[in-house]
Amino acid sequence: MFLSFLKLILTIPFVLILPGIFFQLAIFGWKSALGGGKISFFEKAVLAVPMSLILVDLIVLLLNKLNVLIKGPVLIGAILIFCFACFAVFQIRFGQKKNEDKENKEAEGMFDFSAWQTIFVLLAIVLAIFIRTAYLSDTIVPSATDMGHHMYWAQTIINTGHLPDYGVPDFIIGEHIIFAVVNLISGVKLMTAMPALLLLLFNITGIFTIAILLGRVFESKKIAVISFFVAGALFAVNAPQGRYVSGGVVGNVIGDMLIPVALYFLYRALAEYDQIFAGLFFFSLAGLLYTHHLSAFVFIFSAAAILLLYLLLNIKNILKIIGDWLKIFLKPFPLAILFFSALFLFFIFTPSYFNSAAVSQATGEPTKITRVGLSLSQIEGTVGSAQFILGALGFLLALLALKTKELKYSVALGWFLILFAMAWKPGWLFVNIPSDRIGNYLFLPLALLSSFALVRYFEVFTSAASRFASAVLLFTLLFFVITNGLSDSADAFKAKNQFQQAMETFHSAQYLASTVDINKDIILKDHVNIYGDSWYKLFFMKDYKYPLSRGVLTRYVDPTKARETCTRDMISDPESDVGKACFVETGVNYVAVNTQIEGNSFEKYPDFSKVYGSDYISIFRKN
Amino acid sequence: MSSKIVIITAIILLVVSFSVLFVIETKNHNYDYNKAWSVAYFENPRDDSLDFAIENHEGAKAEYGYKILINNDKLIDEKVEINAGATQKISPVIPSEKLKGNKILIDVSYKDTEYKIYKNIK
Repeated sequence: MFLSFLKLILTIPFVLILPGIFFQLAIFGWKSALGGGKISFFEKAVLAVPMSLILVDLIVLLLNKLNVLIKGPVLIGAILIFCFACFAVFQIRFGQKKNEDKENKEAEGMFDFSAWQTIFVLLAIVLAIFIRTAYLSDTIVPSATDMGHHMYWAQTIINTGHLPDYGVPDFIIGEHIIFAVVNLISGVKLMTAMPALLLLLFNITGIFTIAILLGRVFESKKIAVISFFVAGALFAVNAPQGRYVSGGVVGNVIGDMLIPVALYFLYRALAEYDQIFAGLFFFSLAGLLYTHHLSAFVFIFSAAAILLLYLLLNIKNILKIIGDWLKIFLKPFPLAILFFSALFLFFIFTPSYFNSAAVSQATGEPTKITRVGLSLSQIEGTVGSAQFILGALGFLLALLALKTKELKYSVALGWFLILFAMAWKPGWLFVNIPSDRIGNYLFLPLALLSSFALVRYFEVFTSAASRFASAVLLFTLLFFVITNGLSDSADAFKAKNQFQQAMETFHSAQYLASTVDINKDIILKDHVNIYGDSWYKLFFMKDYKYPLSRGVLTRYVDPTKARETCTRDMISDPESDVGKACFVETGVNYVAVNTQIEGNSFEKYPDFSKVYGSDYISIFRKN
Repeated sequence: MSSKIVIITAIILLVVSFSVLFVIETKNHNYDYNKAWSVAYFENPRDDSLDFAIENHEGAKAEYGYKILINNDKLIDEKVEINAGATQKISPVIPSEKLKGNKILIDVSYKDTEYKIYKNIK
């Protein structure tokens, strides 16, 4: 156990920090790595994780294109070569430069917190990590459905040494590469805490990426400091935070880390007329496109809304502004990054969702009841009452403080407005995506607005009398926010862990894997009533759809298209004519069900033998 | 300096968090740790053999009873002690002519819980 953990703890910085550090060294130089240039030490440290993630993805995509078998030593070599290449670029670009001290100090100032601010940030981080750790401690044994699905594909990469051809747009390569890479280098298996720990790292890094975004957008240390509490503690467990980490919602968790990064670079490119940041914006956007279609979709809408709002607020200078923006992006560095991104996306590895069918599926009039939008109360429930009220206050304060020429107000208002519209009335924007999934992204602009609200609030009230009244009001609000916000997290904690059920599920899967012939026997399992069943497929590694699975019952009812129902009928009513026909059609001869629920019914059917029985799982073989 | 303190503290806290979660997962990713369950299964579900196994994951040494019934007629009624975490394999000897065309039920019991497995022999 100790050795495995040691390997993991050494592999993570090698894979998820080192490439990002060297990449930034090549771009910003060494002195800046100590705290300066255009970017401070703090920002560099924060950006090392998301940049490393993107770089490792790109390295693996390139290796795969070159038909190089993806194995541990190859990966170690490739990452080291990349780091050396970055170091060589650094030597060429910055080797002769000696003095950057003045610029360094200016950049460092932005995130050089006072003693009290440092204490506050540290407390917020302790709280953020503690809440998530406590929550995950009850769910850390692999069992989450989504995680099981994703780890099948990661295991496929590990087993074959090549990237998989998904055949469906539901999975994206960036959701799987990093887990395979960490396994291949460290040897730590996927059916351990490793996947959840990586997601926790991305989730915590996401708190920091929000902080550097807010610090730069508002040019305010206070807002950056407060954001640690808001993003770290108020949004701690409910989706898309700890619950998504334990749930293995890989794309969302990584997307929530990368969206602020992409917006950070976009903002700095536009605000500082800087081509380096413009290039890094394309780089982070490419990372987002390779990781999660929904996050990329949400980001594109968000960025478009922010820019459009800014242009509308400055309609008189619209041509000049667009001209200025084009000047930033039509420079060598961003154009080179754009070229390489396009090269990767179209010739090295094209994401599975890059096709007209997938795009048309996600756009247009909403086709399902789950896509027509959330009610206001549903949105409030999704983000939490306290968070929603605090965000609304921030929106109001931002509106009152609006200065049309400052891009930061367009970021604050436009980002929230577009996501709110996408979640509330998606039909207006021709968005055809499950509305609750969109609603989960609202936490990003709400974290921004809430942090802004808490800082701006006191600035509004300047006189002593109004300060007293405002302080009373604020502390009343804060009391509600903290108790309500944290109680949302407390509600999500499980009364009892389900480790035993998970292990019994794995035991039954191991039994089947060691006794059946996967080339002849067809297994059907019950997803509805078996905990952790999606990990079954990792015991067989035959096919993504092996074993067959009875899914959530609502999935069999789809007004837009006919769905297969055999997987449902073979468990719900195996002795019916339909059920019997399904057994013939599918060739299913093993059925794994929950002993207490379907198991008792199956014992009545003479066509089956019960070959495995625990208090939780029963396995029947068709005679 | 303060930004370095924040980053270093966050790294230390993450390492602590990771180690706690890793240990919790490793300990619990075990059929026996803090668990109480048993299972009975046929060693080969694909043929007509009646060799079966009982696994004790109750957390302590336990005595299991097992009965073998053919069409509800009790043929064997035995007890077996199994150490915590151990598997006991049992190969019942029953004349093959008694098996054909019958339902052979193996009823394993531990305290108040029964674990039934059976084969319908053709």
